[in-house]
Amino acid sequence: MNALVRLSLAGLLMAGTAAGAAAADMKRGGSVNVATIGEPPTLDPSASTADVVGMIAQHYFETLYTFGRDWKVVPLLAAEAPRISADGKEYVIPLRSGVKFHDGSVMTAADAVASLQRWLQNAVRGKQAAPFVAEVAASDPQTVRIALKEPYAPLLGLLALPTSAAVIMPAAKATPQITDIVGTGPYRFKERQPDRYILLTRFEDYTARSGEPDFFGGRRTPYLDEVRFVPAPNANTRVEGALGGQYHYADSLPVEAFPSLSGQAKVEPVVLERFGWPVMYFNTKEGALTNQGVRQAVLASLNFSDMLEAAFGDRKFFEPDGALYPKGFVWHATAGTEAYDKGDAGKAKAMAKAAGYDGRPIRILTSMQYEFHHKMAVVAAEYMKQAGFTVDLQVSDWATLTQRRGEPGLWEIYFTHSPFLPEPALNSFLSNSAPGWWATPEKDRLVGAFNATGDTAKRAEIWAEIQKLAYEQVPIAKVGNFSSLGARSKNLTGFQPSPWPFFWDVALQN
Amino acid sequence: MQTYILKRILGMAVVMLIVATISFVIVRVVPGDPAAIMLGPDASPADIADLRARLGLERPLPAQYAIFMGDLLTGDLGRSIFLDRPVVQALAERAEPTICLTVMATLVALLIGIPAGIVSAVRRGSAVDQATLGLAMLGASIPSFWLGLLFIQFFAVRLGWFPVAGYGDPGAGFLERLRHLVLPALVLGLLSSALITRFTRASMLDVLGDDYVRTGRAKGLDEWTVIMKHAFRNALIPVLTVIGLTVAVLLGGAIVTETVFGLPGVGNLVVQAVLRRDYPVIQGTLIVVAAVYVLVNLTIDLLYTVVDPRVRY
Repeated sequence: MNALVRLSLAGLLMAGTAAGAAAADMKRGGSVNVATIGEPPTLDPSASTADVVGMIAQHYFETLYTFGRDWKVVPLLAAEAPRISADGKEYVIPLRSGVKFHDGSVMTAADAVASLQRWLQNAVRGKQAAPFVAEVAASDPQTVRIALKEPYAPLLGLLALPTSAAVIMPAAKATPQITDIVGTGPYRFKERQPDRYILLTRFEDYTARSGEPDFFGGRRTPYLDEVRFVPAPNANTRVEGALGGQYHYADSLPVEAFPSLSGQAKVEPVVLERFGWPVMYFNTKEGALTNQGVRQAVLASLNFSDMLEAAFGDRKFFEPDGALYPKGFVWHATAGTEAYDKGDAGKAKAMAKAAGYDGRPIRILTSMQYEFHHKMAVVAAEYMKQAGFTVDLQVSDWATLTQRRGEPGLWEIYFTHSPFLPEPALNSFLSNSAPGWWATPEKDRLVGAFNATGDTAKRAEIWAEIQKLAYEQVPIAKVGNFSSLGARSKNLTGFQPSPWPFFWDVALQN
Repeated sequence: MQTYILKRILGMAVVMLIVATISFVIVRVVPGDPAAIMLGPDASPADIADLRARLGLERPLPAQYAIFMGDLLTGDLGRSIFLDRPVVQALAERAEPTICLTVMATLVALLIGIPAGIVSAVRRGSAVDQATLGLAMLGASIPSFWLGLLFIQFFAVRLGWFPVAGYGDPGAGFLERLRHLVLPALVLGLLSSALITRFTRASMLDVLGDDYVRTGRAKGLDEWTVIMKHAFRNALIPVLTVIGLTVAVLLGGAIVTETVFGLPGVGNLVVQAVLRRDYPVIQGTLIVVAAVYVLVNLTIDLLYTVVDPRVRY
């Protein structure tokens, strides 16, 4: 059973349970402590692509669209799906009426337009969309019109993402640097004590959608009085805090903690299967790996199963899979994956020789801050050495890595990871300017076609071609799928695992 | 004495200037970029460059240094890039847990270290002495994170006597906040007591063989008076130095312990600032910590004159 089907079934079961329970069991009141991986770098979700920012901010800010079950884009502040013109260049978005901001004012198209313009000018993902946007305007007090210079299919996905999010705030507050957090979310921001907690309280006048809850979409009910996000950068502290009952939910736990969390009376592990994918970026701009043949040889040398085994240990938490999107996603394809997980030193050596590899060191950047990156890098380095590559494994902290990867002269390979983004066009390896700098005419043509069409079936076909090209030109190497581990109090009802855990439609039993 | 204090304060100003310059240089020599961390993993180089410019990080280093020193002279340590508040405010917010933790840990260390050191010296060579030395060696060798996790497992998770981590829920009163410091204070106090025990023992051994101790006993003074009034007081100067250093280290932030227990203290602040490359916070914290070191050392030096009237400045 694939992850999304599982997630959907779990969601449906939970939704069913929750719907039934809502009448009987889901009680208002109580406070929950949510242990996060650390202090968010900002409280403004448009200003960062970091998951921890999106996870927290989605409670107080909302977007026009969001994701329902099966990662379908569903309306949130928008009244319904956009009316898209036949040429794909005009999006007309009707807004829900009577939606209140936390300051008591009512959302209008003017607020949405100001917020979208702010997002296009300032947010990382907004700037990705900005070159395609000709105009954002209000057609009437409850309708927003986005005119595009050319068709840009990822727009809807971008408007739905909770990271670097296109959040809606009152027009007067939509300044580049927000000084006052006023959103429409089910919880409102109350207080931030850095490195201690971020306190959100229920928004009593929250204007929920009608209908049933639908993952991030549908009706949202803030049952809890307070949600406190507590930064706990030490992973063991998060585990012990969950076991000790101090945290009602603890995020991103080391997989080694699974046995100690299992079979407990008050807490249970939460596994989000196929959370994301570790990935190796190859430098196509400078150094030994500008040679496509050498990149193909490196790919042939790697045994991804062993890398995953070293990183995650338990099969429950990883799955060797060469497809850029796992089964269950509409984007799943097998094209090109025959080159995945070969671990063939002899073949790789011959390929490297044929490609003219001259023994230049291949510098691999990795960070101990993500221990699984480091473990995978160590195994990868050994496989590459077996295939005759000269490897220089450089371990640094994440801040150093993020700076060095921007300098093409400093590396050949770096390790990172990503969740499976619902909109494939948002994957950074597709950007010509992302470190790795994959920029070939074939890729540009395919990505252009992928972005230009709104037809999902056609896009899926093009995505398969992009995947095939990625295995041929090797700008990246997907290591596999991995699951994430969290822990929740058994006292918490209605909780649904997701890449950005949310606490509306969640209640305390006692 | 006044001249001495004046000289030390002038010396302190020079030390501060050097620390400020070194901290400014170090944070900029070390690779890493606050803009990249702030914008998240998918930010483009152009976005990072934009934010760097907005944060003033693209200015030439001499210009940044001039601004930094100019602000410093007016008591402005800058503004945190990530916390969106002045560094002075961020440090003030962290002061309470760090100061309380220092006081509590020092008390634990003194209550264990000094009696253990005295008994160990007085009973030199006995089983008690051997056991004390063994425990002190153990205390000096145990990593604080390991002891911290052990205490959390036992006292917080298994017995539920203390909270696992943090500094209290919103609205927690002072006593509740102090309750969050008990376990970390025990960890730090136990580990610090090892050093104090060894110094007290060594210092006591030095003086116990002196003539005035023999004279005291010959005069018929009771053993308590001989040891505590005559021997211990004379043995106190080196012990005071160690206590001073312990307090200074703890006030600078018990980095590992604060991280393990999730305490929002100065140690945690500086760790997070380093990981995020929050330059103003790193610089400001280093300067304040250096000032605390110098002040604590000055205080200890002045205390010598109280403990031993023969000391003159």
